Amino acid sequence: MLLDQVSLCLSGSQVVALLGPNGAGKSTLLKTMAGLLPFSGSLRLDGREASQLGRAERARLVAYVPQHSALDAALPVRDVVAHGRFAHRDVWGRPDRRDDSAIERAMELTDTRRLAERSFNRLSYGERRLVLLARALATEARVLLLDEPTAALDVTHALALLHLLRDLASRGALVMVALHQLNEAAQASDRALLLAGGRLVAAGPAAEVISAEPVRRVYGVEIVPAAHFGFRMPAEKGTAP
Amino acid sequence: MKIVLTYAVLLALLVGAVALALLVGHGSLADPTLRSTLLGLRATRVGAALLAGAALATGGAVVQGVFRDPLVSPSILGTTAGASLGGQLAMLALVAGSPLASLAVSAEMVLPLGCLLGAGLSLAIVLTFCRERTGTLTLILTGFILSSLFLALSSFITSLAQDSWDMSRAVVSFTLGGVGGVSTRQLFAALPLVGIGIVACWLWSDTLDLLLSGEDEASSLGVEVGRARRWAVTWVAVLAAAAIAVGGNVGFVGLIVPHTLRPLVGVRHRRLIPACALLGGAFLVACDVIARVFPSRSELPLGVITGIIGAPVFLILLARSQRGVSHG
Repeated sequence: MLLDQVSLCLSGSQVVALLGPNGAGKSTLLKTMAGLLPFSGSLRLDGREASQLGRAERARLVAYVPQHSALDAALPVRDVVAHGRFAHRDVWGRPDRRDDSAIERAMELTDTRRLAERSFNRLSYGERRLVLLARALATEARVLLLDEPTAALDVTHALALLHLLRDLASRGALVMVALHQLNEAAQASDRALLLAGGRLVAAGPAAEVISAEPVRRVYGVEIVPAAHFGFRMPAEKGTAP
Repeated sequence: MKIVLTYAVLLALLVGAVALALLVGHGSLADPTLRSTLLGLRATRVGAALLAGAALATGGAVVQGVFRDPLVSPSILGTTAGASLGGQLAMLALVAGSPLASLAVSAEMVLPLGCLLGAGLSLAIVLTFCRERTGTLTLILTGFILSSLFLALSSFITSLAQDSWDMSRAVVSFTLGGVGGVSTRQLFAALPLVGIGIVACWLWSDTLDLLLSGEDEASSLGVEVGRARRWAVTWVAVLAAAAIAVGGNVGFVGLIVPHTLRPLVGVRHRRLIPACALLGGAFLVACDVIARVFPSRSELPLGVITGIIGAPVFLILLARSQRGVSHG
């Protein structure tokens, strides 16, 4: 059993950080919520039992960005982002104006428009992460599940991405993001869930969960209140660089 | 613009290969008494090669997409070996005077029917294992085991056929591939299967593109992965059965044609599948021309020619892809 007795109720308009050491069950929880792993119990999305939803219906509600993508094809980046619209298409798969605007918007938010014509398999790892995030945003799902999205991103793009997640939450989305960096989680999230050994150890406002006692108990380390240095976006720079 | 030009070149290759195949061969078209007969015979061969090539190349593009592996061919599912075994059994039954021969099926249709039944049987076995949460590895292993079983049974039938010289010759000829003995009725029986199969695969293009992201990601984007895989496997089996019914065992087409085309038309199946149908057809028609004009005591088997051309071409493509040329 990878997860045991995890009980949650999450509403929109917030960034929820999913924390825990390696093997705690963060990715498993995200995959379960995305409908990719079997589980016993109940999962309700938007008030409806998830098992009653069809694949396409579920994909319109929940978008998932894995930690490691299996995609390594020579597909143009714009086509990869357009895959996010698959669940919205009619039986003939024809894109309409709404699909185009969702794709453009997702690429703009993630600063991937400049990559639109490039082959996905020619991109750097960090660029691939941004394109996969754009694909998830193109779904226009209200629940966004991200598995370590800042891994392999440079500091500029990592900060911009966290800023973007906050922006999406402010527009009503529930953003659930697995993070390894506790400082990133403290900076970007409203709430935090702390997992250890497949169990939910602590849940609540981020400031309470990312505090001395839970962190010592789960990670076995002390929090140093004054960091030697940190990073933030310039005041005038609110969007992706 | 590049894509239009590529399609134009592929179409020109197909037209050129068909024209060459109609004009070249034993017998002179200058003789007015032979002209219509020769053209009729050659047209049937050309049609059979075209259908078999288009079907195998399309099937190859689809399985390579489903398995996310450019090194697989339609034979990976075991349905090709099943169709081949079915065809051999049908030939054996016909010669042995089994009840099949007395059914309301003419003798020339027994072979295609056997191929369809053989492919259908192996498809049923593959689909039994192809459940929603079955991994592609299970599917590959199922196909591998079926292929091994059917090949062993085919060898047994070949050994049984040694009793009769005619039968032995027919079985060996079928095993090595060729479009020489195809009748017009066989051709028209295979035509709708190939046509519908190619169109069906093309309609699944977007889903096949999403499967390039792997099962989990495709599923999270709204693809019913199990259903998509079952449909893909079914249409590949139909295409393989139709191809074997009119062309016998012909290898490498489903492997090298999609591989050759990806750098030219890209990995999107909406573009790749029609291109595969065009080049696959042109390639096999051209191979059949070589089979007919090659100086030899008897006509060279088609499968031998595709193997001789296909193996080095594949090795070159493989070397190129390892040097960084993308193949999706």
